Amino acid sequence: MNFKTFLAFAAVSAIALTGSAWAESVKIGFNAPLTGFAAADGKSALTGAELAVEQANAEGGINGKTIELVVYDDGAKPDQAVPAAKKLIGQDGVKIGISGSYSGSTRAAAQVFQDASVPYISAYAIHPDITRSGKYVFRTSFMGEVQGRAGAKLAGEMLGAKKVVLITLQNDFGKSLAAGFKSKAADFGVSVVNEYQYSIKDRQFGPIVSKVRADNPDAIYASGYFFTAGPLVKQLRARGVKAPIIGQEGYDSDKFIDIAGPAAEGVIITTSLDRDSKKPETMNFIKSFEAKAGFGADMVAASAHTAVKVAVAAMRKAGTDDPAAIRDAIAATRNLAVSTGSISFNGLGEVTKAVQNQVVKGGKWRHHSVIDDPALLAPPSE
Amino acid sequence: MLFIDLLVQGLIQGSSYALIAVGLTLVYGLLRILHVAHAGLFTLGAYIAVVVTNTLGSFWLAAVIAPPIVGLAGMLVYRLLYEPILDQPPFVPLIASIGLFICMEEGFRLIFGPYGNSFDEAPFSASLSFGPVYMQGVEAATVVIAFVLLGALAVLAARTRLGTAWRASVTDPQMAQSFGIDIVKVRYLNFFIGSALAAVAGVLVALLNNFVEPTLGSVPSYKMLAIIVLGGLGNVKGTLVAALALGVLESFGTIYAGHLIDRDAIAFLFLIIVLMVRPQGFFGKA
Repeated sequence: MNFKTFLAFAAVSAIALTGSAWAESVKIGFNAPLTGFAAADGKSALTGAELAVEQANAEGGINGKTIELVVYDDGAKPDQAVPAAKKLIGQDGVKIGISGSYSGSTRAAAQVFQDASVPYISAYAIHPDITRSGKYVFRTSFMGEVQGRAGAKLAGEMLGAKKVVLITLQNDFGKSLAAGFKSKAADFGVSVVNEYQYSIKDRQFGPIVSKVRADNPDAIYASGYFFTAGPLVKQLRARGVKAPIIGQEGYDSDKFIDIAGPAAEGVIITTSLDRDSKKPETMNFIKSFEAKAGFGADMVAASAHTAVKVAVAAMRKAGTDDPAAIRDAIAATRNLAVSTGSISFNGLGEVTKAVQNQVVKGGKWRHHSVIDDPALLAPPSE
Repeated sequence: MLFIDLLVQGLIQGSSYALIAVGLTLVYGLLRILHVAHAGLFTLGAYIAVVVTNTLGSFWLAAVIAPPIVGLAGMLVYRLLYEPILDQPPFVPLIASIGLFICMEEGFRLIFGPYGNSFDEAPFSASLSFGPVYMQGVEAATVVIAFVLLGALAVLAARTRLGTAWRASVTDPQMAQSFGIDIVKVRYLNFFIGSALAAVAGVLVALLNNFVEPTLGSVPSYKMLAIIVLGGLGNVKGTLVAALALGVLESFGTIYAGHLIDRDAIAFLFLIIVLMVRPQGFFGKA
């Protein structure tokens, strides 16, 4: 054997060896918006998912096999999510997929996973139709309507507001929150005096602020993400609107406080992550995430972390690569302790867990209260 | 009183539109290019305001250097992007401009991160009240600054030799050149002034929102096109009127038609209606 043949032989065996090492890993698919308008949430979600994979691998992976996260950018767009889902299933051969993306792209990808009979978990996309794609699709976050109902209880029962103005983001997130809020408002003695809508591109709310000031409500229920809610809250307070503001998990980021500044003080949100939690899973997540990301944990990161943990727990329990067995193991999840609480699923694949209310105090998200009312928070089961 | 409040909010929004749209209409008037990337320069102005303030600790320094830096960036865009393709049909520079705009958005994301930037300590959080009207100091400043700068631009164009040269180049570039006007210099000046004004708008919007993100320019990139068409392409006075009218219309539209129509769609609905009645825009020549 001359030297050149030896080199070629060495190279081939090296490739073969790496190949066999790869076979010892289990692939989890992940789609998230890493470019475009939702790139900030995509980055948080990806970091949260990576953290969950690192932690699971440190615990020995899945029955001795290393977990590998296969990531595709979907730009939060359905037309990018479908090819991403197809690549994950067909080319990468993932046994389970996780969406770290918004509703539009998650809905589109969910159908692809369902058609291929591969389990798929939506980490924080809220559209009701996602889990209706079929029995392979699950969701580990609250549906918009469920969170809206919790908002009504917070406004009426806990804050004692009678007259509430709704400022609604014109997308599936905002609309389903508003629908949930309105469905239970009367039960908690709340009347919705006006509702204003804005688009996800809006950052300047001058006219809405003028009208809300004229309405003079007891409380404001404003749906949005940190990048719309930050400027909105800042502008409301800068123009003298003093009514309590209730938000939701879309606000749940330190960025919201950076943008709104002192105006953020006292804003209360319904979300899944309790910053002051004494539960070891949550405390550990918050600490490890900050160390890994270099910025504070948020709802999106915690939700992606949760979804990966649910997937890993199910794959360990299933003990096989068979997607149908993994699917059954996810469906059978009961009271799994993760960073966003204790996870169980109903028959539709919707999560049941308590709502964590957080308030901004001293420039930080802090514990406000918990809503743990199974009847109020029951997601649809079909 | 709500009526006055909404009217004032419309004028504030309109003033900020006017500052951005003027640069676009100036470029169109001179070169017949739809300069979509102008919205990227507006975003650059906003980023300079936030990043310089946070690193060097002086908002005033940031506010003073942002317009000239963005002005120079505008000149570079002309030199590197448009000048080599001036003899191409108009859709070529338009596509190049859209391409540059997308590159700028992704560039901002790569350099400044996807999360967007805010002032560490938001400057000027004071509010003013005039009877029933209660506004942020920055909102009042937006209106005043827009009127002063655009007024100065009008004087420059009407009363100075430079302005005469510029107007001559717009009307008949070849004739202007044969009279010894350096039309290349005029074009550079044009890009400098237009881009610097967009930077001023960027600084003001950064203050107003306390939030600058890579896609800050995406709405202006197309809404400004509606404004300059409404104003009669290339017509500065028409652009100002269109910007203010649209600001006011959006202000009332958001409140009274917000459940029917998206705020950004109002601009285009307004555009379609105006073009049906006056195809040349408010002040365009028939």
